[in-house]
Amino acid sequence: MDNILLLPILVPAVSGILMLLIRKTRGIKEIATFFVATANLLIAVMLFRKELDFTLPWAGFGMEFSLRLYHFSSFILLATGFFGFLIALYCTTFMREKGALNQFYSYLLISIALVNGAVLSDNLVLMLFFWEGLLVTLFGMIFIGGKDSFRTATKAFIIVGISDLCMMVGIGITAHLAGTLTISKINLPVDALGSVAFVLLMIGAISKAGAMPFHSWIPDAAKDAPLPFMAFLPAALEKLLGIYFLARISLDMFKLDASSWLSPLLMIIGCITILLAVMMALIQKDYKKLLSYHAISQVGYMILGIGTCVPVGIVGGLFHMINHALYKCCLFLSGGSVEKQAGTTDLEKLGGLGIKMPVTFGCFIVAAASISGVPPFNGFFSKELIYDGALERGWIFYAMAVAGSFFTAASFLKLGHAAFLGKINDANKSVKEASWPMLIPMVMIASLCVLFGLYNALPLNNLIQPILGEHRLEGHNFSGMPTNAFLVIMTVLVLAAALLNHYLGFKKQGSGIKAVDHIHYAPVLHPIYDRAEKRFFDPFDIGMRVAGWAAKMIWYVDRVIDWLYDGFSVGMTYALSIGIRRAHTGNYSVYIIWSLVGLMVIIFLAVR
Amino acid sequence: MLPLFILVPLFCLILLNVPPKAIVKRPAFWLVAALPLVQVFLTAFHPVAVWDEIRNPFNSYFIFNLSVDALSTVLLLSIGIVVFIAALVGRYTLSGETQRFNFFNLLLVAFLGMNATVMVQDIFALYVFIEVTAVASFILIAMQKDKPALEGAFKYIILSVVATVLMLSSIALIVMAAGDTSFAAVSSAIRAYPASVLVKVAVNLFLCGLFIKAGIVPFHGWLPDAYSAAPSSVSVLLAGIITKVSGVYVLIRMVVTVFGIEQSPQAVLMFVGALSIVAGALAAIGQSDFKRMLAYSSVSQVGYIILGLGCGTPLALAGAVFHLFNHALFKTLLFVNAAAVQEKLGTVDMNKMSGLSVKMPVTGATSVVALLSTAGIPPLSGFWSKLIIAMALWQSGQYAYTIIAVLASVLTLAYFLSMQRRVFFGKLQEGLENLTEARLGLILPAIILAVVTVGVGLAFPIVLDKLILPVQNILK
Repeated sequence: MDNILLLPILVPAVSGILMLLIRKTRGIKEIATFFVATANLLIAVMLFRKELDFTLPWAGFGMEFSLRLYHFSSFILLATGFFGFLIALYCTTFMREKGALNQFYSYLLISIALVNGAVLSDNLVLMLFFWEGLLVTLFGMIFIGGKDSFRTATKAFIIVGISDLCMMVGIGITAHLAGTLTISKINLPVDALGSVAFVLLMIGAISKAGAMPFHSWIPDAAKDAPLPFMAFLPAALEKLLGIYFLARISLDMFKLDASSWLSPLLMIIGCITILLAVMMALIQKDYKKLLSYHAISQVGYMILGIGTCVPVGIVGGLFHMINHALYKCCLFLSGGSVEKQAGTTDLEKLGGLGIKMPVTFGCFIVAAASISGVPPFNGFFSKELIYDGALERGWIFYAMAVAGSFFTAASFLKLGHAAFLGKINDANKSVKEASWPMLIPMVMIASLCVLFGLYNALPLNNLIQPILGEHRLEGHNFSGMPTNAFLVIMTVLVLAAALLNHYLGFKKQGSGIKAVDHIHYAPVLHPIYDRAEKRFFDPFDIGMRVAGWAAKMIWYVDRVIDWLYDGFSVGMTYALSIGIRRAHTGNYSVYIIWSLVGLMVIIFLAVR
Repeated sequence: MLPLFILVPLFCLILLNVPPKAIVKRPAFWLVAALPLVQVFLTAFHPVAVWDEIRNPFNSYFIFNLSVDALSTVLLLSIGIVVFIAALVGRYTLSGETQRFNFFNLLLVAFLGMNATVMVQDIFALYVFIEVTAVASFILIAMQKDKPALEGAFKYIILSVVATVLMLSSIALIVMAAGDTSFAAVSSAIRAYPASVLVKVAVNLFLCGLFIKAGIVPFHGWLPDAYSAAPSSVSVLLAGIITKVSGVYVLIRMVVTVFGIEQSPQAVLMFVGALSIVAGALAAIGQSDFKRMLAYSSVSQVGYIILGLGCGTPLALAGAVFHLFNHALFKTLLFVNAAAVQEKLGTVDMNKMSGLSVKMPVTGATSVVALLSTAGIPPLSGFWSKLIIAMALWQSGQYAYTIIAVLASVLTLAYFLSMQRRVFFGKLQEGLENLTEARLGLILPAIILAVVTVGVGLAFPIVLDKLILPVQNILK
C-alpha cells in the first residue's frame, strides 16, 4: 500500500509528459491540466496526516529511492496541490489567448511532480534529483514567455544552478559527516565542517526561496515570464520548497541553536533581504515587478523567523511561509486579472479600476492588508510571532523587520492607489470584471487569508506547530491574539505612519503613483536608487562583469596554450614529418645502410 | 590433423595446375576463397589445440614437428580472414584471367607458407617457410611488371636477402651451440649458455633479420615502396598478414618460446617498438599517397605490438597478440578501401580526391570504422588492444613508453582524420560527378571487416577470454 506515495509524483509527471504530445488543441490542454491538478489535490488531501514510508533500491551506495510522508511533508504536499489546482483553474481563462505557451501546462504539471518528489524524498540525493529537475521547468517556463525571455531564463538558470551546486557540495559534506544519505537519520552538530555543510545547504534552500543575493532573476522574470508562472513558482511553490528545506536542515538535520553563529547569520540575511528588496519594491512603476520585489522581501521574514532559533520565531516563520504563499499568489493573480482586462500592468496607464473590477479590487485589498500586516488578517499574526522572536534575539533585528513593514505598507498603498483608485484612464473606460475561473482562485485565497487570520488556531494547531513537536514548543501555544501588547502597538503605529506618509506624499505630488517619490528622490537614496535601477548592484551582473574580466584574462592564457597545440606541436610534427620523408630517398642502398647500422648497434649493445 | 593445414593447400595447388588451364581458370577463385573460409570456421569454432594430439598417417612424412598453441590459433584465424579477403579483392581488381589465375596460385603458396610458419617447431623449417612465403610475395608485388612494381619488389628482395643472410648466419651459430634445430633443443642450449657472446650474437642476428621482415624502424625501408607498388589485392595480403606472420609472429615466437623473454634484449625491443610507433606515425602524416600512408601506419602499428612484446609481462603479450589480430582486421579493411578508391579513380593520390563519401558511402563509412579502431577509439576493437598494452606497460613501470604509446595514438588519429577529410569528406572533387560506389565484390569484404571490427570491440570480453588470454599460457 505504501507505493501510493508514488502517486503524487507519477500522476502529474506522466500527464505532464503526455501533455507535450497534445498539439494545437488549446481548449483540451487547459481542461486536462485542470483535471490532473484536481486529481493531484485529491491525492494530497487523501494523504494528509498519514505517515508512510516507501523505499526502492535505486543507484546504490546509499542512494535509495526512499519517500517519507509525515505531517510536515503532507502539509507541503497539500499546499502544493492547492496552489496547483488554483493556478490550473486560473489558467483555463487566462492563458487561452497565448497560443505559443503550449508547453506551459506540461511544465506546470511536471513542476508539481518535482516539488512533490522533493518534499517527499527521504534521501538527500533523491531530493537533489527532484530539486535540480525544478531548474529545468523553471528555465522552460521563463523561456516560453517571449522574445527577450531567453536572457532572463539563462540568468535564472545560472543563479539557481550555482546555488544548487553549493547545495550539492553541502549534501556531499553532510553525507560524509553523517555516514548516511537518509534525511530522517541525519542529526549533526554544527561544528567546523558541520557549519560549512549547513551554510552550503542553506544557500541552496534560501536561493530556491529567492532570498538576497540570489534574487535578481525574479524581478526580470516578472516582466518576461507568463504571469501564472510568477504566481505559481516564485510566489508559492519555490517559497514552500525552499523554506521547507531550510526548516528541515535547521530543525532536524542539524542541531542548530541560538548560541551558534549561524543563527545571527540567518537573521542578518533575513533582515537585509527584507529591507533592500522592499526599498526596491517601493519605487517600482509596474504592477508585476513591484510584486516580485515583495516576493523577495517577504522571504526575509521567513528566514529571520527560522533564524531566531526560538520557538515563537520558528512558528512565525513557517506560518509566514504559508501565509505569504496565499496572499502573494492572490496578489499576482489580481495582477493577472488587471493585465488580462486592461491589457497592461504599467501603473502609469492604470487607475480607477476599482469600480470596474470590484471583486479583483476586494481580493487585492485583503491580500495587500495581509502582506502589510494589518490586523486581523493572517499576515499580521505571523509577523507578530516573527517580531516576538526577533525582539528576543536583539532589538536591531526587530527594528529592521518593523522598518520593512513600514515600506511594505507604503508600497501597497501606492500600488492600490495607482491601480484601482484615482482617475480612470481613457483607454480603460470599457474594462470589465474578469471571468469567474479567474475570480474563484482569488476569492478562495482571499477568504483563506481572512480565515487564517481570524481563526489562526486552525493552521497553527493543525499545520504549523506539529512540525516543531511538543518538546520544542515547550508547552507554548501561539494561536489566538498576540500576547505582547508592545509589539501590537508598535505595528499599529507603523501602519499609521505608512498611511500618513502616503497621505502626505499624495498631497504633495498629487497622484497615487508618486506618493513615495519623496523617498525615491531623497538626497542619499536617489543616486543609490538610480544605480540599482541600472542593475549596478545586481549580484548576477556583478558576477558577469567579473566573469568577463576573468574570461578576458583566460583568453590570453588560452592563446598561448592554443599556440602550443595548434602552432608549436603541429609545426614540430610537420618539421619531423618532412625530415623523415626526406630521409626516405627511395634508394635501396640507403635502406640497407640503415638496417646494417641498426644491426651493428644492436649487436654492440648485446655483447658489450 | 595439423599437416592438413599445409597439405590441403598444396594439393589444391597441384589440382589447379595439372589439368588444362582452360578448365580450372574459372573455378580457381572458389577454391582459393573456400580454403581460408574453412580455416576461419575451424579455428574460430573448434579448439585447434586438441588436434595436435590426433594421430594421423601424415605426421610421419615430416621431419619436423607441427604444433598449435593459443598464439598459433590466433594467427591461423587471422591468416584465414585476410587470405579470404585478398582473394575477393583480387578477383574484382585484377584484370585479365591469366593474371587472376597466377594471383590465386601464388596466394595459395603464400597461404600454405604462412600456415606452416605458424605451426612448425623447428628453427630451420621456420626459415624455409618464411622464404616460401617471401618468394610468393616477391612475385605478387612484381605481378604488374611496371616500373614501380619492379622497383618495390626489388627493394623487398634485396632487404629480404639481408634478412636471410642474418637469419641463416644465426641458425648456423645456433646449430654450433645446440647441435639441433628444433625449438626445444635451441631453447635449452640458449638457456644453458646465458653469458656466451656467440649465443648473444646469434640471438640478435636473428632478431635483426626479423626486424627487417616485420618492417620495424630503422629496418623498414623496403616496406612503403613494396606496399604502395603492389596491386591492391597484394597490398591487402602483405600489410594484413604476410609481414605480420613472417616478421611479427616469428619475432614473438622466437622471443617467447625459443630465446626466452629474459635472454632477449627487452630494452632494444621496446626502443625499436616506440621508435617505430613515433617515426611511422610522423612519416604517415606527411604522405599524399593513400597506400603509402597506410604503409607507414602499418609500421607505426607494428611498433605497438613490438612494444608490448618487449614489455614481456603476460598481459602485455596478450595485448600485443590482440593488437596483431586487430591490425589484421583494420589494416586489411583500410587497404580494401584503398583498393576500392584505386579501382574507381585509377589513382591513390589523395590530392586528387575529395568528397568521395557522397558517391561511395559504404567505402567512406567503413573507412571511418577502420581508422577509429586503428586510433584506439572505444568501443572498437583497436581500443581494447591498445588499452591492454598501455595498462601492461604502466603496470610494469614503463611510464615513459606508456606516455609515448598513448600520445602516438593522437598522431594516428591526426593522420587518419586528415586522410578521411581529404579523401571522403568535404566537397566532391570536380570531374567526379559520375563516380559510383565500387562493385559488390569490393564492398562486401569492407562490410564484413567493419562488422567484425565493431563486433570484436563490443564482444571483446568473449574474444579476450576465448582467444587472447590463453596466449598468456605460452609464457609458462
